[in-house]
Amino acid sequence: MFWFAEGLIYRRQDSVFHTIDPRVKLFVSIMLFSLSLLSNTILEFLIILSLIFFIGVLSKTLKRMAKTFVFSLSFLAMVFIINVLVGYDIMFSIIISLRFISVVSSTSIFFLTSSPDELELVMKSFHLPYDLIFAFVTAVRFVPVIMLDAIQILDSQRSRGLEIEKGNLIKRIKNYLPVLIPLIVQAIIRSEELAEAMESRAYGYSKKKTSYYSLRLRKRDYFAASVSICFMIAFILAIYFLHI
Amino acid sequence: MKNYVLNNINIRIELGQIVAIMGSNGSGKTTLIKHFNGLLKPNEGFVKVFGKDTRDDSVAAFSRRVGLVFQNPDHQIFSDTVWNEVAFALKNFGFEEEVIKKRVKWALEFFNLIQYKDTSPLLLSGGEKKRLCLASILAWDPDYIVLDEPTVGQDFLQKEKLREVIKMLATRNKTVIIVSHDVEFIWRLQPRLILLSNGEVAMDDTCANVFQNNVLLDKCGIVKPQFVELFDQLTPLLTHPPLDVLEARSIFLKLMKKGE
Repeated sequence: MFWFAEGLIYRRQDSVFHTIDPRVKLFVSIMLFSLSLLSNTILEFLIILSLIFFIGVLSKTLKRMAKTFVFSLSFLAMVFIINVLVGYDIMFSIIISLRFISVVSSTSIFFLTSSPDELELVMKSFHLPYDLIFAFVTAVRFVPVIMLDAIQILDSQRSRGLEIEKGNLIKRIKNYLPVLIPLIVQAIIRSEELAEAMESRAYGYSKKKTSYYSLRLRKRDYFAASVSICFMIAFILAIYFLHI
Repeated sequence: MKNYVLNNINIRIELGQIVAIMGSNGSGKTTLIKHFNGLLKPNEGFVKVFGKDTRDDSVAAFSRRVGLVFQNPDHQIFSDTVWNEVAFALKNFGFEEEVIKKRVKWALEFFNLIQYKDTSPLLLSGGEKKRLCLASILAWDPDYIVLDEPTVGQDFLQKEKLREVIKMLATRNKTVIIVSHDVEFIWRLQPRLILLSNGEVAMDDTCANVFQNNVLLDKCGIVKPQFVELFDQLTPLLTHPPLDVLEARSIFLKLMKKGE
């Protein structure tokens, strides 16, 4: 039932793209995200999507990226239908839908290929306050845990005769209450326990936190960054001067 | 080769039996019991409950006859009161209002929780929550009761009571299947014991026979109950491991009389 979340969860994998410095991966992600917002023609989107596809192949995450894509299809359909209903022409609606796909898949590139530890290091390199980094990274790290909780709660309630898919729309929404309440309660209990455990291990004792790993740019990172920058400049130039 | 979580499982569990499933962490115990009410369906082979394949009906339909109590009570508790928590499943199964009242009252009294009937279940202690989960399953009187780690967080008295409940259920022709790491608890129950190792049934025999198989117990990371350990140490003197302290006492008194 929660198969779609696979597309957002980091898994250790042996690929060239995974070994690139997370700052460069974040840059690639943001670059593709921004270019998706700038693009206005089908050809431009095809170029961006082919690049995302190429990165998916390179990082061996294509299958999981496809899961997110399948999940976002319903939203995609909604975006398309609303645009058409509001009165925009079909071409414009297609472009908006393509933009939606590009934005979603460019974001998932970073999260699929960077571990929460890498995310923490990246945020640290931006000198953000540590409490904020910790809260954000913990939230990302707990996505799979909460997902597992949700599966177990659902199993538990189904074993007590709850049929989620039964009844009309209102009944179905109500059916989710026995799943949502324990999930929220569990999340609150867990956050409290986590806070206590962290404080017991001297969280916040010293202002300056040391780190076991540090980020260092290597040749391949410089290469990847240069290729991305060149692509970005070429793409923007092509949009404004060649009107592709 | 495909990697299966469970493989070569071939078991048949009759009514009125007490069955324990043991094995090291990750051996597939919880995965196995989730097949009993159709929460999980096998990729190959079949699971039949009262002759019906679990693929042929809903989880709710099988749950009416197979009650599954999960390990973590916090994964099921959601109602505003203890009373409603027990009544939840009965309402799902479509019981009459009068019957629901009777059964909820019985279950809460039986597990010594009736005094909390109007309080929030979230305010109960860990052991009480565990008993509440048991009550909420026994209330609809399923034929098979599957308990995942029922003794965790229970004090000695509650464990004793739980053992009595399990025995009482077996005399009423109910089947109780227990997944547990608590060897002492299992030993006192003397159930049929299924030992799982790496997703396969390593041994399926009486409790006494399984606890004699040192090689398998080592493989599954299970420590023997103290009474079996005592028997091993005194093998020439004792003919069989004592079940409890009382039996051990009478055996030793006899031996002392003999002057051994």
